[in-house]
Amino acid sequence: MSIAELADRVARENPGCRVSERYGNQLELKSPVRQWVTTLSQLKTAGFEHLSNLACVDWIDQDELELLANLWSHARRVHVTVKTRVPREAPAVPTVHALWPQAGVYEREIHEFFGVDFPGNPELEPMFLHNWKDLPPLRKDFDTREYSRRAYGFLEEEQE
Amino acid sequence: MSDMLSISREEILDGRWERILNFFRSRSLWMLYYCTGCGAIELPPSMTSRFDLERFGIGPMATPRQSDILLITGYISLKTLKRVVRTYEQMPEPKWVVGFGSCPINGGIYWDSYATVNHLEKYIPVDVSIAGCMPRPQAVIDGLQKLMRLIQRGEAVGYKKYQLNNQWYKTNQREVLERTEPVLAPASSARAEKRARRAEAAGALVGEPAGGAS
Amino acid sequence: MSDSAYSFVELQEICRTDRYVQYELFFGPNFPGMHGNFGYILDVAGSTIVGVRPNPGLLHRGFEKLMEQKSWIQNISLIPRICVPDPDPNEAAYCQAIEKIMGLEVPPRGRYLRTIVLEMSRLSSYLMGMGALGAMMGLYTGMYRMINDRDLLMDLFEWLTGARIYHIYMLPGGVRRDLPEGWSQRLSEVLDTLEGNLPEWDRLVFENPVVVKRLTGIGPVTDAEAVSYGLTGPNLRAAGVRADIRIDDPYAAYPELEVEIPITGGGDALARAVQIRLEYEATIRLLRRVLRAIPGGAFRTPIGNPLKFTVPAGDAYARVESSKGEFGYHVVSDGGLKPYRVSVRGPSLPAGLALCHKHLPGMLIDDVAIWMASLAVCPPDFDR
Repeated sequence: MSIAELADRVARENPGCRVSERYGNQLELKSPVRQWVTTLSQLKTAGFEHLSNLACVDWIDQDELELLANLWSHARRVHVTVKTRVPREAPAVPTVHALWPQAGVYEREIHEFFGVDFPGNPELEPMFLHNWKDLPPLRKDFDTREYSRRAYGFLEEEQE
Repeated sequence: MSDMLSISREEILDGRWERILNFFRSRSLWMLYYCTGCGAIELPPSMTSRFDLERFGIGPMATPRQSDILLITGYISLKTLKRVVRTYEQMPEPKWVVGFGSCPINGGIYWDSYATVNHLEKYIPVDVSIAGCMPRPQAVIDGLQKLMRLIQRGEAVGYKKYQLNNQWYKTNQREVLERTEPVLAPASSARAEKRARRAEAAGALVGEPAGGAS
Repeated sequence: MSDSAYSFVELQEICRTDRYVQYELFFGPNFPGMHGNFGYILDVAGSTIVGVRPNPGLLHRGFEKLMEQKSWIQNISLIPRICVPDPDPNEAAYCQAIEKIMGLEVPPRGRYLRTIVLEMSRLSSYLMGMGALGAMMGLYTGMYRMINDRDLLMDLFEWLTGARIYHIYMLPGGVRRDLPEGWSQRLSEVLDTLEGNLPEWDRLVFENPVVVKRLTGIGPVTDAEAVSYGLTGPNLRAAGVRADIRIDDPYAAYPELEVEIPITGGGDALARAVQIRLEYEATIRLLRRVLRAIPGGAFRTPIGNPLKFTVPAGDAYARVESSKGEFGYHVVSDGGLKPYRVSVRGPSLPAGLALCHKHLPGMLIDDVAIWMASLAVCPPDFDR
């Protein structure tokens, strides 16, 4: 099956999503949030069984957070990036931890660093940061240089 | 935050009898094998057959209760700092701290990171710093030999500084490890600022919502 | 595996009712048997583990945030520090993602030089991995001698790139400099030395009855489980799945090279140990083939002023086969001088943070370090 035929098949199985192909052996799928779980499980049964990672991008100027899933099919040797968007205020995405065992860990990390809620995920406690009281650090309105100056101090400034 | 006590050099350096013991101590230093950061990758080459640290009497040790040197190999995140402080306090005296690389000196390549401390000297006393990112095995051996010479001369007394200035070190540690307030301005005011800027650009008066509930 | 008087189910029942039998044990971070600064908080009954909670974050530096503060080319000096034993796949994946977005071609000589550096890094990481397998059981001789061999490769890296561990050698468009005079000759001599030492490592580690007995049966993984947990690299091939990014999604010079993939079935720690031993040998042969086949010509495509280097808006995911598995970089650009978002996928996260919940309960404490060494769990790449 060529990549164009695969793109057509994926588009037919997931109505409501926009499919495009790029970089030779990759597909890109944009899905609305309410179809997130069904799209991912549909892709998993279609052969994309390997979840590379779940990531999040903060589009602060558009006031949205974008959630990405990178999947790979060993049999077809095709990669697909699935994208969805949620608003920055009180973001929530349904959980896919039942589909892949390590998806729960990625969701926990995104919850800690971006503040996205995953209702249904049993374990969302912080695990990387110690006693964190500020904004989720990977958001664009968190200034890491200023934080480092105030919390830990810069040597050159202290010695003056 | 209290200042460090000013103590004269003669009070804190080792006396003559202590220096005789130091002659033997410096030739049998055991270091705690706790790899705190990325600098730890150059420890196995320093310890193994090519650059052999053991000919100086320096060998790895598993527990802090039986080691003399605490090697901070590289950067220190907050969780690591908590463990390093406890490990340092568990070691019996005399004990020495060696900072590997540029990260314990001034933050190194992670100087603007929210997760790593920039200046280790504020939290535990550091006796010798080895520059590099990361220091090659020859630099490691050079730094440890410098520590051996300092011990023999009686000048490696970081642990006495820790005892005398305990309050100062503890205040710094608590400030970083036991925060109760956020460090930067709270999120709501940052969003209000942004909304105000957008409203100004759209021509509305600052303080009035620009289309939509605030 | 445990020969106590109670079965595992009975032990769990006792632990629920007798509160003096179960206790909490901190496996790491301050522990010589732990790979790097990482901890498992174990609930232990006697010597058998009943529950596990991973405690990552001790090596967290905030890479993904730091990469947004530095320009595109400056980030290459930051990136190798994500994976400490095997830093070059990071640079390769980052540069490949940028080249995908820009549509930038790397000249053939540049691709071959990248392949040489990647394979040498794989060899040095395998040497450390094989040494760690023995060292976790107390067999330190192997570790000492293998690190010695690894230093021969570090000297070659220093001659080529100027640094032993973090090379900062690859750029978008190619590599930073060409091979010096006499370097390839020295590399073939080093490969001969490494291959000549292999029978000794076999006698010391892989044919050692104690090592074989301790490795058998630890952490068994079936092929379906391996794929569903997201294992990659030698862990996946040792479970019997034929998958290698160098063949499935080729990059650098691999489309023109013949890559051998040994596949060991079995899925337990012994199969994984034999897997890296066979791949070590296959990598040496592959490096010899690469050395014979390097073309001439330019080694990089010029990209102009590195301080004003911009990438057009878009995003791409690039993957690279490292010695531990799949390293993936998802790079998002908005057309500016700095990356908008870089998301790093490290190969140790599925094994270290997800598979532990399946394998560790029921295991003895003595076997946890061996389990970690066999799965090549390296904490810096999931802590980032």
